[in-house]
Amino acid sequence: MMGIKRTVLALAAAAAVMFGGCGDDAVIHDQTEQTTITLSWWGNDSRNEYTIEAVHRFEQLHPEIKVKCSYSEWSGYEARSRVQMISGTEADVMQINVGWLSQYSPDGKGYYDLERLADTVDLSNFTSEMLDYGRRSGVLNAIPIAMNAETVYINKDIYDRYGLPVPKTWDDLFEAAKTLSGHGIYPLSGANKSLWLYCIAYTEQQTGKQIFDKDSRLAFDEADLKVMIDFYCRLVNEKVIPKTEDFQRYNLENGTYAGLIAWVSDALNYYKSVIDQGVQVIAADYTADDASQAGLGWYAKPATLYAVSKNTEHPKEAAELLDFMLNSDEWAELQGVEKGIPISSSVRRYLDSAGKLSGLQYEASQVMETNRLIKPMDPLVENADLYESFIEACDLVLFDKAASEEAAAQLYESYSKIYETV
Amino acid sequence: MADKARQRQGKRPRQGLRNISKVQLFMILGFAAIVIAAVTIVSRLALAKTDEVLKNKVVSLTSSLNVQMKLNMDSYLSRMETIATLAFGDKDAYTYDAADPDNDEFEAINTEKNITEKLYSLCIMENFVDYGIVYRNNRTVGKISNATATQFGDRIFTELSSMISRPRTNDGWSTGYGNDFKRIYYVKKVHENAVLVISLYASELDSVFDNPETLSDMDIRLVNGDMNMIYSKRSDEVGKPLPEEISSRIRGNSSASVLDNEYLVSVNSCGDWYVICSIPTQIILNEKNEITTFIAVTAIAAAALAVLMGLLLSWQLIRPIRRTVTTLDDKARIDLLTGVLNKLTFEEYAAGCLANSLDTEQHALLIIDIDNFKSVNDTLGHAYGDKVLKSTGAILREVFSEDDYIGRIGGDEFCVLVNTRADSDGEFREYLHDRCEALCGAYRSRFAGSDGSIRVSASIGAALWPADGRSFEELYSACDKALYSSKKAGRDTFRFYGADAESEVRQ
Repeated sequence: MMGIKRTVLALAAAAAVMFGGCGDDAVIHDQTEQTTITLSWWGNDSRNEYTIEAVHRFEQLHPEIKVKCSYSEWSGYEARSRVQMISGTEADVMQINVGWLSQYSPDGKGYYDLERLADTVDLSNFTSEMLDYGRRSGVLNAIPIAMNAETVYINKDIYDRYGLPVPKTWDDLFEAAKTLSGHGIYPLSGANKSLWLYCIAYTEQQTGKQIFDKDSRLAFDEADLKVMIDFYCRLVNEKVIPKTEDFQRYNLENGTYAGLIAWVSDALNYYKSVIDQGVQVIAADYTADDASQAGLGWYAKPATLYAVSKNTEHPKEAAELLDFMLNSDEWAELQGVEKGIPISSSVRRYLDSAGKLSGLQYEASQVMETNRLIKPMDPLVENADLYESFIEACDLVLFDKAASEEAAAQLYESYSKIYETV
Repeated sequence: MADKARQRQGKRPRQGLRNISKVQLFMILGFAAIVIAAVTIVSRLALAKTDEVLKNKVVSLTSSLNVQMKLNMDSYLSRMETIATLAFGDKDAYTYDAADPDNDEFEAINTEKNITEKLYSLCIMENFVDYGIVYRNNRTVGKISNATATQFGDRIFTELSSMISRPRTNDGWSTGYGNDFKRIYYVKKVHENAVLVISLYASELDSVFDNPETLSDMDIRLVNGDMNMIYSKRSDEVGKPLPEEISSRIRGNSSASVLDNEYLVSVNSCGDWYVICSIPTQIILNEKNEITTFIAVTAIAAAALAVLMGLLLSWQLIRPIRRTVTTLDDKARIDLLTGVLNKLTFEEYAAGCLANSLDTEQHALLIIDIDNFKSVNDTLGHAYGDKVLKSTGAILREVFSEDDYIGRIGGDEFCVLVNTRADSDGEFREYLHDRCEALCGAYRSRFAGSDGSIRVSASIGAALWPADGRSFEELYSACDKALYSSKKAGRDTFRFYGADAESEVRQ
């Protein structure tokens, strides 16, 4: 009897142990906590696509970080950036234009001090000379990605077809127009800012002045502006270029435009599909009265820079992303030379070994890097109100609403309200 | 003594105990079968119910997720349409016609500039690729990207106009132009010669279709009416047809969830498009398999425990019965006075043994009769007689081996079936002679009559199997004749049946 009791007790104990796990414990499921940071940039289609893909790569490497993207083409981005900077809603990591440093960070306090992130962001890939482009009052506000300059791109097939040499002088262009206009072809074309800078180069060569002096004061007077306006109107009237309002990029593909003024970084943006068709496009010398002056009146600047918001709540995560964008092979593989030839020495090494330092964009950057007369750009030159007013003034002349002297006088007056003059 | 006898005599399984063992075995097997059947039925029911609950839950969850994604998408598209509609707040935007040949070019340039500025300010915070107006002469104002300009070239107005699919609002959503699914276009008619266009990257829908980490195995896709994928987490499949194994399951449905052995698919329409969530059933079953394994292991453990318990309980139950039956069985088979088999058992064993023997085997039956036993009883009393009988049992066990059967078949008559093996008949016969002599010798030495008691001797008759008889009865009869011959020869001796009767040895 005792044996049976013992047996039953032992079995009951075994059953209790076996089923004892079935309790009412709360179910706890851990989820990955993500830190969301924002990234903003401007750019064309291909930049948007590879940047989004590169961000996905970053997120895969850093599952604890989610990156929210804000992007636009250049013209919309500038206004968006202004709204965001003023309203304090700017992205944690931003692609910025060099001109914005003086605009938003005159004392170096408008952006995060990137040297405080040097533990994460490898700055050794940049020379101090290059980093100086991003300093304001000694504070490292931004890091330049690549250098940029307006470049003359020539569709050599079209010029060859009509027996024309690649234009090197201003006169070459007017000569070419005489031949090409009869066939409905413009020797050159460009968007408003590019044509503005092109006209500055011409005027500086003619007058021997720089548009802004070293103290960022407007050095051009009414007479100089008249030279600019007359030159633009002559380019339009003699059919060297279409009016900038009429500029349609698909005319580069259908052969209506035989040339283009555009940034080094925009070479493939405009010409990729043309080159893909087997057409030969080259980066020509900077236009001048003669070869010895090529580059005079021409300006180089960092193509774009990366900055971090001074208000960021996640500096560490922002630094991780910044370093990935500046120095990683993964990012460089996708970016290639789209923004120009990268300054980061590690990225250059990678691109060189990957055989990506070639093509039209590389040629354009070589033209810039080997030119001895090109100068660093005063950021003010790029201000939209300058070139938009300039085009408006030119239109007044083109449509016989005003004489060029009158238009130049009005333009000078409007500039002098905004900018300090010499 | 009884135990020893049982050990010596228990060479054959006893029927009663065999029956008890059988009952015990049946009990254990029956109990195990019932427990296993019960556990199996309960487990299967539990699994079936779990399966049903799990499937219902997953279908319900997926369906909810799908509806949520559809609502996200509806809300996103509606927001985009609202932003597009804002363009109609500017009079120039909806009245100006760039295709009008009577336009003053200078005024047109300024009007276009104004419209462009307005449009830019309206979409300033959106990740739009395009936000502009396209005129019949392919002139554009506002934000028209290089990509869109390149994509449509000088057919931009015609192509965009053809994307208007809703007559009520004169607008429409479209993608896949020239098999390019990177951008999604929204087009709205402004007037006969102008359309408003908005475009955005399909990747923008990442935020619309962002599903929780716990549902990361779920594929969420947006497809158009032709079942081409407009959006997928796997960007490489955008633009391709929805995999056949998914599309075949939801064909003809605009709002449904389907679960079969291969896939769980849920669909909801979103205008002309469909939001589709899918997950291979195998992934869901992985969780079910875990539950199945858990239930199966628990069931096996429970069944094993129950069988073990049954085994122990039956053993506890049977043990006293077996002990009682064993005692009773022993009492029924053993002659309690002499410790050898009783008549019935001996005859049963001997007959069975002979019936199952081959002709090549050697057996012999001996009948031992105590001489003058009646006078022992009369002279020295029954107690002494019992002592003689008891001693006879002991003598027989000493003289014969454990292979032999020994039984008491009458008051003073014993029987031995000799089973001891020998190399030849001659040797067997010699062995028998030897044993008979040893037996007679043992009587002589134990009951010599020297201490005032009566001298007791035994007469032995022997018959060989199968020569002297095949069955026990025949052999017994032959043996009895040999005993008679032995008695006749003056007792205290032994005789073999048949020819051997001549070669008797007188002691």
